Amino acid sequence: MSPPTALIADDEPLLREQLAAQLARLWPALQIVGQARNGREAVEMFEELRPQVAFLDVHMPGMNGVEAARRIGRRAEVVFVTAFDQYAVEAFRQGAIDYLVKPIEADRLLDSVQRLQARLRAADESRRPDFDALLDRLAQEMRQRSGAPKYLQWIKASVGNAVRMIRIEQVLYLRSDAKYTVVAWEGGEALIRTPLRELAEALDPECFVQVHRSAIVNLMHVDRFSHGPGDSGEVHLKGRSERLAVSRSCVHLFRQM
Amino acid sequence: MTPSAPLAAAPLGSWDRSRLVPTRRQLAVTATLAVAGAIGLTPFTLNAFVEVLGEAIFVSMVLLFGFKVAGAWRQTLLPRWVAQLLAVALGAALSPLIVQMLSVGGDFSAFLASRSMVHGYVLVTLSAALIGTLFALGALYRERDAQARTDALRFALERETLQRQAADAQLRLLTAQIEPHFLLNTLANVQQLVESGSPRAAPVFRSLIDYLRAAMPQLHEKTATLGDEERLVRAYLELMLMRMPDRLAFTIAIEPALRALPFPPMALLTLVENAIRHGIDPGCDGGRIEVGARRGSGNEVELWVTDTGVGLTEGAGTGSGLRNLQERLQAFFPSGASVVLSAQTPHGVRADVRVTPAIDA
Repeated sequence: MSPPTALIADDEPLLREQLAAQLARLWPALQIVGQARNGREAVEMFEELRPQVAFLDVHMPGMNGVEAARRIGRRAEVVFVTAFDQYAVEAFRQGAIDYLVKPIEADRLLDSVQRLQARLRAADESRRPDFDALLDRLAQEMRQRSGAPKYLQWIKASVGNAVRMIRIEQVLYLRSDAKYTVVAWEGGEALIRTPLRELAEALDPECFVQVHRSAIVNLMHVDRFSHGPGDSGEVHLKGRSERLAVSRSCVHLFRQM
Repeated sequence: MTPSAPLAAAPLGSWDRSRLVPTRRQLAVTATLAVAGAIGLTPFTLNAFVEVLGEAIFVSMVLLFGFKVAGAWRQTLLPRWVAQLLAVALGAALSPLIVQMLSVGGDFSAFLASRSMVHGYVLVTLSAALIGTLFALGALYRERDAQARTDALRFALERETLQRQAADAQLRLLTAQIEPHFLLNTLANVQQLVESGSPRAAPVFRSLIDYLRAAMPQLHEKTATLGDEERLVRAYLELMLMRMPDRLAFTIAIEPALRALPFPPMALLTLVENAIRHGIDPGCDGGRIEVGARRGSGNEVELWVTDTGVGLTEGAGTGSGLRNLQERLQAFFPSGASVVLSAQTPHGVRADVRVTPAIDA
C-alpha cells in the first residue's frame, strides 16, 4: 500500500514549515508532496499531484482556502488551518468541518490526524452530505466580508500628474460638465471620466442625492436650502460660496420635516 | 468654476425670499414711527391728524417695502446696504408725492401751484427721509450684529468640535489594542523559528518586543518622537518580512535630523499597516514598501509611505482609519497637517503626510 500523501497551502512559509515538521513527528508515514503559497497554487498542485489530504490556510492571497476547497471538492480530505478568526471557526465547528487554529497545538493536530487516518482507512465518502453547501455558504459570506462596503469609498481623480484618492465623505458635490464629471471636494476640484449617471448608482443614497439632471450633492456638506424662481430652489454648501440649483422635480427632497 | 448648468451665479433679477418678508418687529417699529411722525407733523400742517396719519402710514410702509425689496434683490452693482438706503431715499421722495397727486386728482400743475401742498410735501419727505434712514441704519446694524454673533457661535462650535475630535482620537489611541490576529500569527511564526533552532529567532524576538512596547497604550504621547515611530515601523515591517519573506521588501529613509521631531505615536504605522493590509497582503506577488521623511520647504516636514501592491479598490473601507489619522495629526500639529492618498502606476498607493511643527523658541 502506497504511503498517504498531503498538500500544505499557506502564504506564510514558516507556518508551512511548522505544520510539515509537526506532521513529520505525529504522522511519519505521511508524505508532504507539495507546499503551495496561495489558493490558486494549491488547486494547481492538487490537480497535478492528487494528494489524499489538503491542509488549506483559510486566509490566502488570490484565492482563499475555502474557495480552493470548493475546487478540490470531495477528491481529498480537507483540513482548514485558520488564524484566530471567530466567524470561520464558528462555521467550521457548526458544520463539523475539520479545522486547526494557528498556532497549532500538538494535541489538536493529533486528533485531526487520527480522524484523517480513520477516514482514509475506511476510504468511503463518509462526509456529511451538506459539506458542499456549507462551503458554498461560507465562501459567499467571506466574499461579502472582504468585499466590504456596498458603496463607493474613494474617488480616483487626476490632479496635476498624480491620481488623487479622494475619500468619499470629503466630496461636496459632483457635477457633469460636457464630457467629464467635476468632483468638488474639500481640497479643490478635479475632473473624472465616469459619467454622473454611473456614479449615482455607486454612491450611498443616504448621503448623496441627485438634485438636478447634472448634479449630485453630498447632504453632509449642505448648509441650507432656499427657494428660487419658479418651483425650483438651490442648496448652499457649508463654508462655500457656490450654490447648486435644485430642479423642480427634486425640490421635494428638501421639504420640511 | 465653469459657469455651466446648476451653479446659480447670482445673476441680476434673482431674489432671496428669506430677506423679502419683514419681521413682525420691523412692522411694529415702522407703524410706531408712522404714528409718532404723524403726531409730530400735524401741528405744522393744515390737515387733520387722521389725514396726516394715513399719509405717514402709507409713506412708512412704502419705505419699509423699498428697504426689504432692495435687500432681497440679488445684484452685483451695489453693496446691498447702499441699495437699501437708496431705496429708502427714493421711497421718501416719491411716496408723499403720490399722496399729494392723489389728492389733486393727478394734476401736477395744480400741485405746484398750491404753496401749502408743496410745503406739506417737503415736510413729509424730509421727515420720512430722516426717520427712514435712521431706521434703515438701525436695521442694518442689527443684522450685522446678528451675523457677527452667528459667526462667533459657529467659530466656537468648530473649535469645540476640533477639541472633541482630538480627545476622541486620544481615547481611541489609549484603547487601541494589538490585533489578536496579528499577534497570534506572528507568534506562530516565531515559534517555528525557535523550534527549528533558527539563528533568526533572536532578532525577530527583539522586533516583536520593540513592536509590543511601542504599540502598548501610551500616556506620554507628548514625548514621542519621529525616531520612536521609525523604530516602531521598522519593528513592524521586520515582523511582516519574517511572515512573508517572498512577498515583501521595504526601505525606510528618514532624515536623521528629523528623529528628534515630536510625532504622534502610531501615525506612520497606521499608513504602513494599511499598505500591508490593502496593498501587499491581498496580492500573490506582494510588493515593496517605502517609508520616508524629509524637511520640506519652510518649516514643513514631508513624510510618505508608498507601496507597489494591488492598490486600493474603490470599495476598500479604510476611510475611518484615515480620518482618525488626520484628526490626530491636526491635533498634534495645529499649524498644519494633511494626509493625501494617490494611486501609483502601474499599481500601488502613495500616502503623503505634510506637517508643520511649531517653531521652537
